[in-house]
Amino acid sequence: MKKSPVCNPEPAVNIVHNTRYTTGLLMFLLVGLFFFSLMVGRLEIRLSEIWTFACASLFGTPVPPELSSKALVFTLIRFPRCLLAVFVGMGMSISGAVYQGLFRNPLVSPDILGVSAGCTFGAALGLILPGDSFMLVRVLSFVFGLAAVFLALGIARMIAVSPILVLVLAGLVVTSVFSAFLMILKYVSDPYNDLPAIVFWIMGSLNRVEWNDLYIIMPVIGGGLILIHILRYRLNVLSLGDLQTRSLGMNPTVYRIIFIMVSSLMVAVTVSTCGQVCWIGLVIPHIARTLVGPNHSKMIPVTLLIGGIFMLAADMLARSITAAELPVSIITALTGAPLFVYLLYKNRGSGWI
Amino acid sequence: MTLICRSVAFSYNARTILDDISFQVEKGVFCAILGRNGSGKTTLLHCLNGILKPACGNIFVDGLDLGRISQAQIARHVSMVPQEHTDIFPFSVIDCIVMGRTPFLKMTQSPGPAEYRMAMDALHTLNAEYLAERNYNQISGGERQIALLARALLQSSATILLDEPTNHLDFNNQYRMLSRMKRLCRKHNTRIIASMHDPNLAMMFSDQVVMLKQGRIIAQGKTKTVMTESSVGELYDTETQKIGLPDSVNIFLPADIVRENILSKNEDPLP
Repeated sequence: MKKSPVCNPEPAVNIVHNTRYTTGLLMFLLVGLFFFSLMVGRLEIRLSEIWTFACASLFGTPVPPELSSKALVFTLIRFPRCLLAVFVGMGMSISGAVYQGLFRNPLVSPDILGVSAGCTFGAALGLILPGDSFMLVRVLSFVFGLAAVFLALGIARMIAVSPILVLVLAGLVVTSVFSAFLMILKYVSDPYNDLPAIVFWIMGSLNRVEWNDLYIIMPVIGGGLILIHILRYRLNVLSLGDLQTRSLGMNPTVYRIIFIMVSSLMVAVTVSTCGQVCWIGLVIPHIARTLVGPNHSKMIPVTLLIGGIFMLAADMLARSITAAELPVSIITALTGAPLFVYLLYKNRGSGWI
Repeated sequence: MTLICRSVAFSYNARTILDDISFQVEKGVFCAILGRNGSGKTTLLHCLNGILKPACGNIFVDGLDLGRISQAQIARHVSMVPQEHTDIFPFSVIDCIVMGRTPFLKMTQSPGPAEYRMAMDALHTLNAEYLAERNYNQISGGERQIALLARALLQSSATILLDEPTNHLDFNNQYRMLSRMKRLCRKHNTRIIASMHDPNLAMMFSDQVVMLKQGRIIAQGKTKTVMTESSVGELYDTETQKIGLPDSVNIFLPADIVRENILSKNEDPLP
């Protein structure tokens, strides 16, 4: 029965073992990069100064007067922004991994059920409506993002045959409907103020962050990450398809709903705060799979860490490459797309792509 | 210790698939389910696995009423080797096999070293340790069947359901697969219920036969007594002739093909 070795340049399972080192290294990298990105920017902050600021906010020790403006920049802008980058990167990449597992398709990104389209429409609506409250924009964005997912789930439930395929199609329908709505809004909006606002909003950036956003984002994404991390092994089984999932004693529908709801919540909260961040959800899970193999038990923690690192690095580039700040989506797309091509090339012949 | 199927019926959108199915299978018995395409073989297996709930009737597996226990509990007693062979993520074979422990894990648990050791043992039982580290998407159809059988062993070696286990297998692998199954019955007292396409393979390997035609049982019982020219002929709607071979092996052939004498025998058209 033994077959001669299959002609494959790089067997995909040869590095499945010893993910502990990979995970440890990535953790080290993430922490290192976090401190590095706290230091760089328009205003350079030294490590010793970070220590002073940390002591000041934790124990109430006084900050020297010459550092007080730096302290403000650090605590109100730099630190929350880096924190946000880590959470957004982790949330988006994990959602991508979850969706790719659920839909048994490596080309799926977290907005396949229309979350992003819904969020974008909601935000545009908020920007057009009178009033300057950014809170309204975020709430509308979040609500419409989740509404889009519910709509897609509802359509799929109504049709109810071949759940995965129907979900994809329903997502397609919902996405294009919300895109059409968005176009209507763009068409009727005031071309001097509202239209540019919508366009810039869609491009996505982390520069609008405030601590108030983090108080919402951290528990939502943090909770989602923990839940998915706990349930991650179930993604292995779900990726076998509904029939085998059932015969292995699991109810695929229940788990699918849990995973979809948690991921959509994370994506909605992200997009409603920072606009669309392209490519993270698609590329990062692929990097993780290339590093430690497709087993979700090992791949989910690695995805999480790489997501945080990638987003942190992308945001650092976005705010330091040019004098004016670039939308972070441009960075993630320009780096993510070639990386994706490379990964497709490297993993060719593993029977999956 | 018996699997009892008592007047089970199943219909899908008012179309009756299974009607009044009753049979029982003891432990350590290889039972073949024969029938034409669309006769309800796969549906019956899915009912026995709890994937589909019968509209009426009961299924008892070793005293447990499948209608009254959860899917996870069913999965601890009945395992399945599916027919589908869609590519999944490029998992290693051992990662696939270890999924057989899923119904025994807590919701938040991932399989650990103990589960992986059990998976290696299952592969050892099937003499296929060499598969462990291979990419599931790159092994042959026969090797996949071995991997799935190992997974089923890990899940429940008491009752294993197989959906057309010899489909997609070549001549050699068909016999390897079936003898492996037969050995499990004898050595591990496993109850095997397999839907099969080829009555001759069923004749050679099974202990018991259930013949399904349009969702009804037309004959069942011991293979030796049930498999006759008339029952096989009725099952496949064609007159059938039984031909004896040496070593008391019998095979069935459609009678008209035997009569027309078009089988390659002695005459040799090749120069």
